Amino acid sequence: MSIVLALLTQLLHIGLMIFAAPTVAGGMDWLDARWSGRSGPPVLLPWHDLLRWFRKTPMLTDDVSIVSRLAPAVGMGATAAAAALVPSFALGMALSPLADGLVVVSLLTIARAAAALAALDSGTARSGVATQQASARAVLAEPALLLSVVALAVMAGSFNLQVIIVQQREGLLLPATASAVCLTAMLALLFAEVSAGEANSDFHAGRALAVARMTGWLRRLIWVDLIGGLFLPAGMAAADAGPLSWLTGLAAWGLKLGMFMVCLSASQKLFGRIARHSLPDVIGVAALLALLAIIMALASAGTA
Amino acid sequence: MCHGPTPNPGDGGSVPPVSDPILPFLAFDVVALLLLGRFASLLPLAACGFVAAALCGLGALLCLPPLLLGLPPTALALPVGPPGLSLHLALDPLATAFLLNVFLAGTVISAFQASSVPLTKLASVQTSALCLAGIVCSLIAADGVSLAIGIAITCGAMNGPRHRTLMLPLLVLTAVCLLTPAGFAPGFEAIGAAPADPNHATAAGALALLAVAGLIRLGWVTPDPAKADAPERCWTRDALTAGALLPFTAYLLSRLLLDLSGTAGQAWFGLLLLLAGGAAAVADSWRAAADPDIVSAIAALIRRQAGLAMTGIGLALVARAADLPDAAALALQAVFLMAIGGSLAGPLTLLAAHAIGASAGTYRLSRLGGLVHTMPATSAALAAGLLALCALPPSFGFAALWLLFQSILSAPRTGGLPSQLPLALTAAALALSAALATTASVRLIGIALLGRPRTPRGSGARESQSPVRTILLTLAGLSLAVGMLPGATLWLLADPAIRGLTGVPQARPALLAASGAAQGYVALPVLALIALATGVGIMTRRSLKEAKIAGLWADGMKPPAGLPFGEPAAQSTGAGFLPALPAMKLPWMPRMPRLAIVVPARPPSAIAGLWLVLTAFGLLLLVLAATG
Repeated sequence: MSIVLALLTQLLHIGLMIFAAPTVAGGMDWLDARWSGRSGPPVLLPWHDLLRWFRKTPMLTDDVSIVSRLAPAVGMGATAAAAALVPSFALGMALSPLADGLVVVSLLTIARAAAALAALDSGTARSGVATQQASARAVLAEPALLLSVVALAVMAGSFNLQVIIVQQREGLLLPATASAVCLTAMLALLFAEVSAGEANSDFHAGRALAVARMTGWLRRLIWVDLIGGLFLPAGMAAADAGPLSWLTGLAAWGLKLGMFMVCLSASQKLFGRIARHSLPDVIGVAALLALLAIIMALASAGTA
Repeated sequence: MCHGPTPNPGDGGSVPPVSDPILPFLAFDVVALLLLGRFASLLPLAACGFVAAALCGLGALLCLPPLLLGLPPTALALPVGPPGLSLHLALDPLATAFLLNVFLAGTVISAFQASSVPLTKLASVQTSALCLAGIVCSLIAADGVSLAIGIAITCGAMNGPRHRTLMLPLLVLTAVCLLTPAGFAPGFEAIGAAPADPNHATAAGALALLAVAGLIRLGWVTPDPAKADAPERCWTRDALTAGALLPFTAYLLSRLLLDLSGTAGQAWFGLLLLLAGGAAAVADSWRAAADPDIVSAIAALIRRQAGLAMTGIGLALVARAADLPDAAALALQAVFLMAIGGSLAGPLTLLAAHAIGASAGTYRLSRLGGLVHTMPATSAALAAGLLALCALPPSFGFAALWLLFQSILSAPRTGGLPSQLPLALTAAALALSAALATTASVRLIGIALLGRPRTPRGSGARESQSPVRTILLTLAGLSLAVGMLPGATLWLLADPAIRGLTGVPQARPALLAASGAAQGYVALPVLALIALATGVGIMTRRSLKEAKIAGLWADGMKPPAGLPFGEPAAQSTGAGFLPALPAMKLPWMPRMPRLAIVVPARPPSAIAGLWLVLTAFGLLLLVLAATG
């Protein structure tokens, strides 16, 4: 029975992630507009855009290779796989033994690499330059995220996300200062990711554009889920606790998502987006903070 | 791992009788390769490659029974050398695992030599045969002298400078002598029977590290920028270094630092290895992400594996010193996985790059491009090799990285902050190196293989011949298989060796999981998850064939008249990904002075004096170690 429940929560989780990604994007746009005193676009506008792009006839340049044809799907596949592994409202889902922090980070890297290859395959100058800049940023951002995961894993003794979340919920993820430093690093990375904007998809059209946009929205939702799960695990339900408990978990997850959306858009309104030339500085600081968190975790364990 | 009866003083240790015919066959294989290298000119050029491939293939087959059936170690005393100092050969799990890698790489390189058009030069065939003979001789050596002889043959075959040809075997021999108990010949069995002095073990480790650095430097020769477009490059040497020499350096460090030193290896030396390996991995992956030459970039990406292997051995030393055998086993699993995968993906990428360079007429990234259309099979093989080398699942590079991080998780139990700080820095180096390697692979694939051809010559490149394609695609399949089944690969090929070095029984062959933990990294389900989601993505775009093909839209502009491929110069040339790493001049050994019987007219130079001091120091160490 518990296997069936674990499978059900997993399917529900995947469905919710797919549904929530464009909705959260629409909500963010609406909030941004409201902070500026405008009425704002409809929250479900991304869904309308997706439908519109899906109805269009796909277009490809005549000299692109199979890479351009498959890259959006591969990027979406890797991101969806990462989304399936990051817990949202429940713990103990069917895929939780595979939910390794390093694997999740690497799946996001696969999506980034697929987008970069598609951009280079298009053979245009603008996409090439955008790919170079994105790759240079990723050289700092990916190690920073990896180091954050390593810091949490050193404290928890495992890279498994569920193990880390359970220890965080029970107050066993010590020292708390290292955890707080890690949270700061990941928030800085999220802020930099949002400020960098969506990946260049000028060379996509029609359904490919829809898939590429959906990948970007899902990626942002994974970030929010990762931070919410790792540092604010309150209210997460157990998969084998039954549907009533799931409802509590769903309510808590919805609350966390709403809170993140408000905080993120408010901080963007207050501080403005980070300038592109300042992004490496912010990401570098995040990497140093993550390294500091590892050292703090090790030092604490050595003196314990 | 050197088990056996207690040796007698003055003897190289009592050697059990030959219970296995495999070792003599391997010895004959070495002799045959040596003869082939020496008398290759007597055979037709095309036959040389086939003979070398057959000899290496036979060697690989001979390695399978001990690995798969778990045969006990065997030894063989050769009637060569003075009494009590005769040469000894042995075949144990550690040597067998690396032998299989070297033989596989040798088979591929020799087959490529035999099937490439035009045929490889005679000198290259001789180089590969002699180099492989030397490495195999070193791998089955059971005493310091045999090991040094094998390394000397390898150095000589690689046409290294004379001082390195002499110095590297001397360094290794001195290291073995330092580990040998007083009054014994420098045989591995005698060393294994008596615990080594910790100071001697540290000195031996330092000498081994110097020798390994020299061997890596011997294999990779930095190309002259003025000759970057030269059509003829010594690709044999590059492929041999990637497929055989780098795994051999991992063997040398494992043998001298982990096996022969026993528990005498000191933790601080492990920390030193950690930092050196991490720094080398970051520097090499940075070079791979910035180098304008495809072969140099791939070579740097392969050298990164050597840095990671060094880090793994350092982690194993640290963990063993802290009495954490599980963590040591995880680190060694990473080392073996990199050696196995590297001996496949290294030659694959270099051979594919050679095939591309030969067909497109250049090795410069800024002049390549669009090869996926003209050389699809070779491009696919190169892309598979590059993805296997970087740290993306389900490649073996990611599995090795995962194992290294798992080993680092034991850091809180290794002692105080002074020993934990290097581990934290190593984690940072591993993460940075992984991101750089991924960027380097994406850059190489995107610039060289994708996009539009940048030159008319590049657009006229032709696909490789069928035998070459078969070799490259087979290697690509094997490289990907190692990444998808890392647990099974380690269980089949490296489990006895890791058990011998750490004493930890390996379980869960199909599951690459941290010991004692229920969770772990399993490549196949992760791959299945990606494939499932990708399949759904493709189904939503089911109209791939219905796509409307349009002309080039370069930001809304049509290609200029007279440039059918668009404006090739507008594409990224790969130069803007990362700035070049500043060149660092390291002090190295002085050049060998000319020795002449006639007294020179001018007085000996300071360099000659330095060389004399170095040699005298080495000899002094040798004498001291031999006399106890």
